[in-house]
Amino acid sequence: MNVLIVEDDSALARELGLYLHNAGYVCEVARTAREAGERLFVNTYDFVLLDLGLPDADGLTVLATARREHNREAVIIILSARGAVEDRVTSLDLGADDYLPKPYSLLELVSRMQAITRRKFNAPQDSFTFGSFTLRPRERRLIGPDGADILLTRKEFDLLHYLLLHTPKVLTRQQLIQHLWGDLAGTAESDSNFVDVHVKNLRRKLAGREAASSGAADWIETVRGVGYRLRKPDPAP
Amino acid sequence: MTLRQKLILLSVFSKTLMAAVLLLALPWIVQVLALRHSDALLRADLQRVRTRIARVGISEFLPGARLNRRAHYDLLQDEFIALRPLSDTESAPGTRRFPTDFIATVPHRQYAATADFRVLHHEFLYHGRRYALEIGKSIASVEEVYELLRSLARYALAGAVLLTLLLEFGVLALLLRPVEQIVARLRSVQGPLPPPLAPLTTTTTDFQYLDLGLRQMLDRIRAGHEQERQFIAHASHELLTPIAVLQTRFENMLAADAPADHLPEAAEAQIVASQTTLHRLTATLRTLLLISRIENQQYPRPDRVPLADLAVDVLNELEDLIADRGLTIHGPDAAARALPPLAPANRDLLFTLVYNLLTNAIKYNEPGGHISLTAEPVAAASADGVPGEVGFQIRNSGPVIPPDQLPHLFERFRRAEPTGQIEGHGLGLALARAIARLHGVGLTLDSAPEVGTTVTLRWRPATGSEAPTVR
Repeated sequence: MNVLIVEDDSALARELGLYLHNAGYVCEVARTAREAGERLFVNTYDFVLLDLGLPDADGLTVLATARREHNREAVIIILSARGAVEDRVTSLDLGADDYLPKPYSLLELVSRMQAITRRKFNAPQDSFTFGSFTLRPRERRLIGPDGADILLTRKEFDLLHYLLLHTPKVLTRQQLIQHLWGDLAGTAESDSNFVDVHVKNLRRKLAGREAASSGAADWIETVRGVGYRLRKPDPAP
Repeated sequence: MTLRQKLILLSVFSKTLMAAVLLLALPWIVQVLALRHSDALLRADLQRVRTRIARVGISEFLPGARLNRRAHYDLLQDEFIALRPLSDTESAPGTRRFPTDFIATVPHRQYAATADFRVLHHEFLYHGRRYALEIGKSIASVEEVYELLRSLARYALAGAVLLTLLLEFGVLALLLRPVEQIVARLRSVQGPLPPPLAPLTTTTTDFQYLDLGLRQMLDRIRAGHEQERQFIAHASHELLTPIAVLQTRFENMLAADAPADHLPEAAEAQIVASQTTLHRLTATLRTLLLISRIENQQYPRPDRVPLADLAVDVLNELEDLIADRGLTIHGPDAAARALPPLAPANRDLLFTLVYNLLTNAIKYNEPGGHISLTAEPVAAASADGVPGEVGFQIRNSGPVIPPDQLPHLFERFRRAEPTGQIEGHGLGLALARAIARLHGVGLTLDSAPEVGTTVTLRWRPATGSEAPTVR
């Protein structure tokens, strides 16, 4: 997967490139709108990560040109620190696929890129299995060992899904907050304790079912001082 | 009361006053004028008599003389001339009781009847003798002229008053139209800033000046807004980009997949702690920027938002927390659902507002407590038909907030004293207030034992015709 990072801050471009490289992407960096235009003209990219505050032009013009003239297929994600109210609407109108305000969580960015790829190639993962549980994201169902549904709230479901997607990574509370609350995480009175509440409830619901079949196992592990991860699933019996 | 109404009242009042004074004074004025006129006639007569005496002698005028029909005979008997020689005693100096010449109104006996006459009395010397000459005119003949004059004057007065009133109303309406336009423009400024306005068409220099001043002021405000807007954008970019660098760097440090690359546990914990601090900084900064953008009027308000429905959405979002703390939710009740929607409104901002209020109601509640969403009893519509304010209340059973702290809770970075371990950056209510203000919604906080803490959102329902129009 080829990624063009359009970002004038070199430190940020480097960190972003490093993370994406580790996640298996091939990255190029353009620091100005001019450079971005040239690269977009010559190459074909799967993803363009576009900063709006470029030194020589508004990133929105890069977006408009890219969509109009070349790289119509590329997935363009806007990463902006400008945060002007109309930026989001304008960029989505101009054909951007997603919009993430800075500072964003790299994990969230890559998750969204992967979700877009899955949608694009029409290959969403239909089900995740851990232990004797099965999670079906499209139907938003969690099926327990006895074949019955376990009722989860929206947040609990999203949390479990996110942990499953990134097994066996440890996810920090901040990463989970950014995923679960999105924009609200920045401005509303969000509370990192909220995540703990959801994890606690989720554990209780999972443990209640597990006990009935194969003995208690704490699927969601707490990594002290860091965050949470899903225990590596044993091969299903 | 508008300027135009006041001016019309003033005009009517002054005309009425003028008409009343004139009508009262009219008889007197007419009488004075008529008397003057008849006195002048009498003097002219006297002049003619003197001329004649000088030409033909005095004997013709003396009583007993042969009658000169042309001079003496008066068919209507409303004029007379009497000439008589004065006796020595009458003419002797020092015994005189009257001035030699005067005009007076005196009863005069003419044949059988007595009537009021205006009489000119004149004394003169003729060939060494003094004579007294009296010329009289009946007042009755003058009275008729008075009456005619009076009624004529009344009609003329009424006509003049009506005509000038109509004229003034018309001219006032024409002259004051710019004032009404200026007032309409000022009204429209209360919302978001209107686009640049065209100059008013008026020839009145005062209004031109006023309009110019107003437009210049608006331009200056607009320029200030634009500057502030750019500052916010720059501050946002310059502050958030370094934070983004730090956050991505921390994330990279923690992201190593292979166990061999993992940092020591203690180091990881420290990085996570730094991330948390950074997150806190980000949240504070974003909220401050958001408040600034709201105050800078950057948010459009295209929506109509029923608050009760919005609150239900927020409650769904918060269901886990509510369940975790064992809280009971009452409402929103039927009255709250029946409240008129907020319009024009920005749904996303209102969501944040209600989210913050409900999050507070959850966080600062006691375990097993309750939250109720109700409509405030409606204030009656005022006399002039303007609908009263309606209120939406969120009440929780949390600990009482001391009254002296209540007014300060909406200030930035202020939190009530006994917050204990509850996390928050102290900007939630400041943001809530900024959003409420943008929507013309009053936000108040009350706290009392037994009742709990109540947040009230109060607004005046839009009547539909209130949308500001800019001419």
